[in-house]
Amino acid sequence: MWKPNSLAQRRKLMLFGLLTPPTIFLAIFFIVPLGIMIVYSFLEPGLYGGVVWTFSDLNYGRILGWADSKYEKFDPVYLGIMLTSVRLAGLTVLSTLFICYPAAFWISRMNEEKKNIFLFLITLPFFVSLVVRLFAWVLILRPTGFLNQALTGMGLVNAPLEIIYTDLAVIIGMTYVFIPFMFLPLYASVEKLDMSLIEASADLGATKLQTFRRVILPATLPGIVGGSIIVFIPALGNFIVPSILGGAKVLMIGNLIEQQFLSARNWPFGAALGMMVMGSVLFLLIYYVKLLSREDQTAEAN
Amino acid sequence: MTDLLEIEHATKRFATPEGHHITALDDVSLSVGENEFLTLLGPSGCGKTTLLRAISGFEDLDSGMIRIDGNDVSEWPAHQRPVNTVFQKYALFPHLSVARNVAYSLEIARTPKQEIQTRVGEMLELVGLDGFGGRKITQLSGGQQQRVALARSLIARPKILLLDEPLSALDKNLRHKMQQELKSLQDEIGISFVFVTHDQEEALTMSDRIAVLAHGKIQQLGSPEDLYRRPSSIFVAEFLGGNNMFDGHVATCDAHDARLDLTLGQSVAVPKRNLTEGQAIKLLIRPEDVIINAPNVSGGLTFTGTVSETYFVGTDYQLVVNIPNADPMRVTTRIGFAQAPTIGADITLTVPTDAIHVIADKAA
Repeated sequence: MWKPNSLAQRRKLMLFGLLTPPTIFLAIFFIVPLGIMIVYSFLEPGLYGGVVWTFSDLNYGRILGWADSKYEKFDPVYLGIMLTSVRLAGLTVLSTLFICYPAAFWISRMNEEKKNIFLFLITLPFFVSLVVRLFAWVLILRPTGFLNQALTGMGLVNAPLEIIYTDLAVIIGMTYVFIPFMFLPLYASVEKLDMSLIEASADLGATKLQTFRRVILPATLPGIVGGSIIVFIPALGNFIVPSILGGAKVLMIGNLIEQQFLSARNWPFGAALGMMVMGSVLFLLIYYVKLLSREDQTAEAN
Repeated sequence: MTDLLEIEHATKRFATPEGHHITALDDVSLSVGENEFLTLLGPSGCGKTTLLRAISGFEDLDSGMIRIDGNDVSEWPAHQRPVNTVFQKYALFPHLSVARNVAYSLEIARTPKQEIQTRVGEMLELVGLDGFGGRKITQLSGGQQQRVALARSLIARPKILLLDEPLSALDKNLRHKMQQELKSLQDEIGISFVFVTHDQEEALTMSDRIAVLAHGKIQQLGSPEDLYRRPSSIFVAEFLGGNNMFDGHVATCDAHDARLDLTLGQSVAVPKRNLTEGQAIKLLIRPEDVIINAPNVSGGLTFTGTVSETYFVGTDYQLVVNIPNADPMRVTTRIGFAQAPTIGADITLTVPTDAIHVIADKAA
């Protein structure tokens, strides 16, 4: 039997032992299901759910423009839903960013004790079930809900605002859900920002706006991009928030996929839609990585 | 007035978290002339950094006035003041290359690209970083970062360069090298430097004038020689290097001379200056002014004692000599290897009259 005798060999063996279980776990529970989905997306649906093992690219055709001419005409409705989802997820990213960026600066300037309290408060929502929290938002946003009563009570509006079951309600809900995801990476990069850089910039003649654009923004950009990606990906495929706060009126790609798998029992089409979501996210990530490496290169080229 | 920088009655108080008030600057007035190298020297917390930050515009004064080139800049925001700062930890922009860091203030001022390039090139050459323009800040050593910070502050051609302990992060050899480079650079470009440090040796080496600060007040302002040879207080004397101090009082005074009696029993005549009869004084004797085993003694003070410690520090020997009824005396002497004093040896210490400095003892 091979006996490790050098320290390096022993360390290698230990690493091997430690890394093997998670690797196998990931392979079985992540790669295999993903493979199943990829394969399913190229099959035909069975009559009562399940799949028929015949190759077909019509699932993608239905989405992208080459529908099965025997049964239906091409309908861009799925592309529309896809675009709606991208738009809602994008707006969610913007609104979480808008809330978290100043908050991150504010909290990072506090003393240790206060900082910890606020960081805890940011993560507090995780302690309550997501569905319960979203139903609380239903109570707040519905026409007879807290928000409308407060607004009409103060005489700011005459009739209750129609917020619930609109895009706005979905954005509010997703913003609420994803704020911690945006906050933590942003906070990490804001916390690291050296205050003396801001002073140095002012010392060299820059106004506050110039300092923000030339120093603060570039220095915190990794946090902004990181937070945006972490919010955008789950927001794009989210189906709980639109189904509770968007009702039947707002359909996001996540809801569509859920329907295909559960009500419509069209697994291949659902799988194809899932692949589309994954594809667009992957595309975004690759673009981001390319952007980062290009920035590195220009920094060196200058 | 021809002074470039004038500070009048600058006062600044801070509130501590516990609710106390700290007076960081207490009625400080000073001025800096053209092409002068002024050092603010003092222990940490003496207010020297606060004063520097008040000049650069990062700290508002509670009262007082700062004039740069004749203009009252008290109300000017930091980015409008014609001064630039070299920060203690350099504060270089990590996301920009060396050249872009140096070019920063010119880019802000929308200088034409061509001119930026030329001036950045000149500046990098001046600080000895030719060809480093494309490097990342993180690829530079501490000394190189120091030079980038210097180049970045100088490129805007400020009237005054403020330096906040810029050498404290460097190791000793590099620090000495940078001290000399900074001084010759200042001569070369001919602008005024206001330099903050807590290192007395650094201050003595580089400055035209030194302001010693403590508790928010200027304790003494003068040339390095002045401060070292003629400190006005015990604090300044002790802050600027090693000392031997002896208590005494003024016994008699005539028109020119004053006779001082030491509590040890010796007495010595010194020029009168502003001494008055009966006044309590302290005698200050620098370790390097003591002559050991002088063959013929005339005038001055003489002590006898035994050597209790010796240290060889390369160029000199440092001795600690026990003197009966007094604190041990510190002596620095440059003697040959063969004459090296041994521990336990009896020794005669002589101090010439002109090496004796008298400080009025306010504490007594």
